[in-house]
Amino acid sequence: MAEEDQFEPVIVGFFCNWCTAAAADLAGTSRMQYPPNVRPIRVMCSGSVDPVYVLRALLGGADGVIIGGCPPGDCHYVSGNYRARRRMAILKTILATLGLEEERVWVRWISAAEGAKFSRTMNELTQAIKKLGPNPMKRDWSI
Amino acid sequence: MSSSAILPVGDGGVLGAVRAFLGSLWQKKLIDALLVPLELPSGDNVVPAIVSDPEKLKMANPLAPVMPLNSARQVSAITIASPSAERLGVVLRPCEMRALIELVKLKQASLENLLLIGIDCPGTYSISDYGRFVQKVKSPANDFLSKFQEGKEDPLLRKACQICEYPVPANTDLVIGLLGMDLNNSILLEAGTAAGERIIGELGLEKGGVRSREAAIAKMVSQRAERRERLFEQVRKDARGLEKLMAALATCINCHNCKTACPLCYCQECFFDSPVFKFEAEKYLGWAQRRGALRMPTDTLLFHLTRLNHMVISCVGCGLCTEACPNNIPVADIFRLVGDKVQKDFEYVPGRNLDDELPLTTFREEELHNIGI
Amino acid sequence: MVKLNSVLVIGAGAGGIKASLDLAEAGFKVYLCDRSPAIGGALIRMDRWFPDNHCGLCQMLPAFSTDDSSRFCLRRGLIHPDIELMPLTEVKEVAGQAGDFRIGVTSRATGVTPELCIGCGLCAGVCPVETAREFNEGLAPRKAIYPPHPGVLPYVYTIDWDSCTKCGACVAKCPTQAIRLKEGEVIRQLRVGAVILATGFEEFDPVLATQYGYQRYPNVITGIELERILSPSGLTGGELLRLSDNRAPGSIAFLQCVGSRDSRKDYCSSTCCMFALKEATLLKQANPQVDIHIFFMDIRAFGKGYYRYYEQARDELGVKFTRSRVPVIREDPPTRNLVLTTIEENGALAKRQFELVVLSVGQTPAPGFQELCQVLGVEVNKWGFCRSELFSPVATTREGIYVCGSASAPKDIADTLVEAGAAADQASGWLARRRVPPTPPEEAMESDAEEAPRLGVLLCDCGQEITSVLDLEEIAEFSRQLPDVAWVARVPYLCYTDAWQRPAKELRKHKVNRLVIGACSRYFNTRLGEIGLNSSAVQKVNLREHIAWVHGDNPKVATEKAKSLLAMAIELARAPEPEPASPVNVHPRALVIGGGLAGLTAALSLARHGIEVHLVEKSAGLGGNLKQICYTLEGDDPQALRENIIARVKTDRLIQVALETELMEVGGYAGNFEVSLKGKESLLHSLEVGAIIVASGGEEYRPTEYLYGQNKNIITQKELEGKLFSAKLDPRNISSVVMIQCVGSREKERPYCSRICCSQALKNALRLKEGNPDIEVTVLYRDMTSYGFQEEYYTRAREKGMTFVRYEPESKPEVRPEGERLVVEVAEPVLGGRLILEPDLVILSPAIIPPENTPLAWTLGVGLNEDGFFQEAEVKFRPVDFLTEGIYVCGLAHSPRGMGESITQAQAAAQKAVSLLTREQLVSGIAVSETIQRQCSQCELCITVCSYTARMKDVESGEVVVRGALCRGCGACVVACPSGAAKLRGFKDRQVFSLIDAAF
Ligand code: SF4
Ligand code: SF4
Ligand code: FES
Repeated sequence: MAEEDQFEPVIVGFFCNWCTAAAADLAGTSRMQYPPNVRPIRVMCSGSVDPVYVLRALLGGADGVIIGGCPPGDCHYVSGNYRARRRMAILKTILATLGLEEERVWVRWISAAEGAKFSRTMNELTQAIKKLGPNPMKRDWSI
Repeated sequence: MSSSAILPVGDGGVLGAVRAFLGSLWQKKLIDALLVPLELPSGDNVVPAIVSDPEKLKMANPLAPVMPLNSARQVSAITIASPSAERLGVVLRPCEMRALIELVKLKQASLENLLLIGIDCPGTYSISDYGRFVQKVKSPANDFLSKFQEGKEDPLLRKACQICEYPVPANTDLVIGLLGMDLNNSILLEAGTAAGERIIGELGLEKGGVRSREAAIAKMVSQRAERRERLFEQVRKDARGLEKLMAALATCINCHNCKTACPLCYCQECFFDSPVFKFEAEKYLGWAQRRGALRMPTDTLLFHLTRLNHMVISCVGCGLCTEACPNNIPVADIFRLVGDKVQKDFEYVPGRNLDDELPLTTFREEELHNIGI
Repeated sequence: MVKLNSVLVIGAGAGGIKASLDLAEAGFKVYLCDRSPAIGGALIRMDRWFPDNHCGLCQMLPAFSTDDSSRFCLRRGLIHPDIELMPLTEVKEVAGQAGDFRIGVTSRATGVTPELCIGCGLCAGVCPVETAREFNEGLAPRKAIYPPHPGVLPYVYTIDWDSCTKCGACVAKCPTQAIRLKEGEVIRQLRVGAVILATGFEEFDPVLATQYGYQRYPNVITGIELERILSPSGLTGGELLRLSDNRAPGSIAFLQCVGSRDSRKDYCSSTCCMFALKEATLLKQANPQVDIHIFFMDIRAFGKGYYRYYEQARDELGVKFTRSRVPVIREDPPTRNLVLTTIEENGALAKRQFELVVLSVGQTPAPGFQELCQVLGVEVNKWGFCRSELFSPVATTREGIYVCGSASAPKDIADTLVEAGAAADQASGWLARRRVPPTPPEEAMESDAEEAPRLGVLLCDCGQEITSVLDLEEIAEFSRQLPDVAWVARVPYLCYTDAWQRPAKELRKHKVNRLVIGACSRYFNTRLGEIGLNSSAVQKVNLREHIAWVHGDNPKVATEKAKSLLAMAIELARAPEPEPASPVNVHPRALVIGGGLAGLTAALSLARHGIEVHLVEKSAGLGGNLKQICYTLEGDDPQALRENIIARVKTDRLIQVALETELMEVGGYAGNFEVSLKGKESLLHSLEVGAIIVASGGEEYRPTEYLYGQNKNIITQKELEGKLFSAKLDPRNISSVVMIQCVGSREKERPYCSRICCSQALKNALRLKEGNPDIEVTVLYRDMTSYGFQEEYYTRAREKGMTFVRYEPESKPEVRPEGERLVVEVAEPVLGGRLILEPDLVILSPAIIPPENTPLAWTLGVGLNEDGFFQEAEVKFRPVDFLTEGIYVCGLAHSPRGMGESITQAQAAAQKAVSLLTREQLVSGIAVSETIQRQCSQCELCITVCSYTARMKDVESGEVVVRGALCRGCGACVVACPSGAAKLRGFKDRQVFSLIDAAF
């Protein structure tokens, strides 16, 4: 068996209450199958995801992190996702500049109607993280 | 605001000329007090002090090539509770002024009633290097400047200064110009604002300028930019990737000296000192169990990465974090490397001007389409 | 008469939902019935709306006491303790009168007992009937037993009796015996004080327009079908494909006015232009290569921001517009493409081929609407819509019964929602006025937060829905090992009515003070009372939709995930939560800015609800623009209205009018504003009000074009109207006039339609004709925007021989004096020549423009749009609100609109204010932010990022504080604050950290 197959990544998902969390429910009621590697955390808005949460997850050993919010313009709180976008852009730049695998952090806009996009994204994300392999931070005791 | 005047350099050298100019501000009642570095009696360091008696100007030495702390923080300390009621002059290096602008945007300082006097900065030494340097020379400021005038690279300068592309202050009312001047003869006093212009008028100085200045500045900036790129290359080699980064940060003891020295880290209480980071014993043991061992204190990497998240967009590159680190971690190098990228992404130059909005307080609908699909 | 506190809303589409939410927020009990099994009507079939291409449905949810209603997307359902949903329900009889109606309703059985159905769908698996119906507009098949909508909450199935064969397969399969194949009916008597009719519209059935081959040609579809094709939840998952061959069409034609503006339906459906524009825009944005043509008669983009939207589609996205009727469509059989015969503007016939044709079908009254109106005892108009009058647009012919939305005339969602607010306002006038008692702060748990956490874990088997994938025993065992867990139990069906009795006992026995539920997506909050815990002491894990139903093929890892999620929820539940912020008092008083029609109407509405009103007017008199309107197209008397309304305002003891007074300063926040006013002679004086209504009006543009002001025979419509009315001008002395439309509107500097000038021109033209049938009237226009029932007058005008000549903005008419005469010259598009007219009068239709609003907007701390009108919170779903709560807008201050529309909007704004002001106190939601002062550095970043002005620097203490009632709990401040001083209850850094830490 290839290592990829044995490795079951743990991915932390921050999903906004109004869109992506609803899409997760919709994927559920529509029974669209996707891999069980994502641990969803419901937040009120993607704009409430502090980069420190993402870092906490990564440094704690999450193999991937996904932030899911309403499509641009649709945020229940008007501009939360636009703000989130800047935050995450900076976070990803920091990680990339320091060679810390920013590709483990995904941002996706998934509306309440997009159950299919939700499950597709979970599939793609899990595949991509499996390809990347385990997050080295998980093993490092000195972090 | 292009008006400028020439200040003659006499026997007291450049320092004498600067002191004389500062004194004249009192004589003409243009200020009531002045925040300026004073030489310590021991002579091996300077500290910013509020001078209210012009007599004390004898000890003023804004030219000493040393910066024990970033005075922007001191301006913040003085003005945060209430703006100054009296007219306070403040002498600042370019990076101090830039930090001050950021602090004003963050509501940590007020420029009301301040007369901002910037001074060209050829660079500074670390405190210990400065301590050794003063042993060897008669007048540290003047000797340093004559060395500088010869135009040789000074390897003693702090790394942050060697790569600093802002040797000339911006946004101050007045600039004391050294670059491009024949320091044996004269220095320049330039107005940066209408207030500055008025002061030049009131001091009765004759207007005049020098042509060589622009070119000298450009040359210096380009040399430093070149060095900066070389440094970035080095940092990328030494500190990129988890392993190397961890090695670079290996000696971090979580003392938070870097954030204390940082002119921008303004938090009353650092997030990392807050109860959020007080965990139950069971948690620590659980983490240890998972990894086989747990480095104590925990969360050092998280601290540095989070400080980057919070502050790198405003980092002015003064380098005092590195100075403050007891274990020689090149914090500033990392901040500069990351800051360079992040700031460019948002076309934001910290300290450039008061009207540029802090990137994290706004957004544009049409941007960053690569983040999130 | 005892006034009742309840109201019936008929129709659960956009208008019905909005009216219900408004009424519930104002503290009334609402029965919301609909004939269909689910709420949403036309609304939930669409994903995004013009003119911003966004979805904003959730913006309709209450802004105050947010915890009272469910906090999720409205597509999934409407859950509010004061709204009783009555699906499959029809009104059968109405007795009594306004204030006390007795209404008989019958509800058809859904065939599925909602309390028993767990939504497992086994029934649909065995149902042999496949049918194609509502949700996907006949595009996606479903079974005869089905969930009314895939995301609906609670997720319960229902039977479509029309296609059900009663074979009984499902009954045998259902694990919970929830199915009863009996089409029973339940009859109920409701006692309500008022009724709102919000039944919406039915689409015109394009089969009737046989020339278009709808249903004969598979590639001729309707707009709503296209919408479903483009929807991510639709048949093709959002991909643009033709249904005949699953190929992406390269060219698409939209045909406007199908079933509108013809001899049978001589009205304009008001929305189809914009709807088509939206479809075209979304299509072009996603598929720029597709060639899109819109065939139209007039583009009627008259709403706020609509004209810009049109220009963007045309100029930036390259949508092509052709002004032409399309008499017939033929299919090209081999390709199944469609050949359109068009009549071009110059009368020539042309043929063009498209791969897909979309019919923009109009609105017609809902089926059975006439009968319903008969039952209700309200009259319908000649088109079969509910009859209403211009000056009381939401009133029907029966007192106590109100109407909103397309039930009374075709309209779009934006206008519908404004009317819904107005109907709520008018209806609540008949209801027992009540000061909403402050919602008692959630009963403090028996133990206070400080007490050591004792956790209970309740796991639902959901029949076998969860257990068939997850090893619940293993999970239960795992949970028992976790810290502070005192009790773990499994229940077969947690959603059952009696499911909570036993756990409730056990919870008490084990002194459990926090609970973690592992079940499904159901909304259990309404049942927490039964176990004596409040919602902040309960965490939920969705084991079914998030795990069992989606990871069926990987039970091992799925069980691991379940354990993780439970561990996370348990960690979260362990963290203590402090008491919520204390409630604030409300000043039951309102300030109305502006004494025009909107302001006066709003003041009267407020006073009717017992609210003290201070109305300030800048000028020396009341009435605003109304003073100059002398008659209406429909034949009403504006001056009588003006006199009446002013008299009522002046005599109302609750209304104080201050003329020549301006607002100077505003401090405070919703419920607690402190405003400073200044009269012409008086000193500044301040006043405490709870709400502010901005009705500061608009002005007429003073034309600089067409020699206006330089020739006495060039006048504006308003001037003409005044002269006709005062008989200063006798039509018999005139032989010809030219009217020029869009003077100053739809121009570069003012890219919006002023909405009322076309009807104004028609009105005055008809009046001239009445006085002298021989007058030659020529109207030079760009698009005649006689929307809704105004269309009839446009038809009448043409019948009376008026000439309508279109001009392009690039070649505007030219007006010049020639000696004594005026000459108007314009390019004639039909014949291509130039038309030269020598009218007696040239009449200009100038734009409606905003006054200089900047100072007022600045004082109020609210925004203006790019045209200078006030900017509402959300163009469709919060049309009278600002983002800053407690301030509302109506009338011309918002955008150009007619009198009736101003009245409606004023009532809607008043409704919002009333619902705020009738509260004694404002309480914040559970998720509310706070500042840890010790950590706060007062950088105010949090204040900058808060969209709701919920954060401010307290002047006295200098501290950055949260006005809990305004906080929506978005968490933007938390992220902005580097110090960790800004926290969000329920989502504190510490809590989120424990969640994250527990994830692995
Ligand atoms: S930014 Fe903070 S204070 Fe403002 S609404 Fe959001 S959570 Fe509340
Ligand atoms: S962002 Fe944080 S530190 Fe700054 S004012 Fe707000 S609560 Fe205080
Ligand atoms: S609410 Fe979904 S991103 Fe803001």
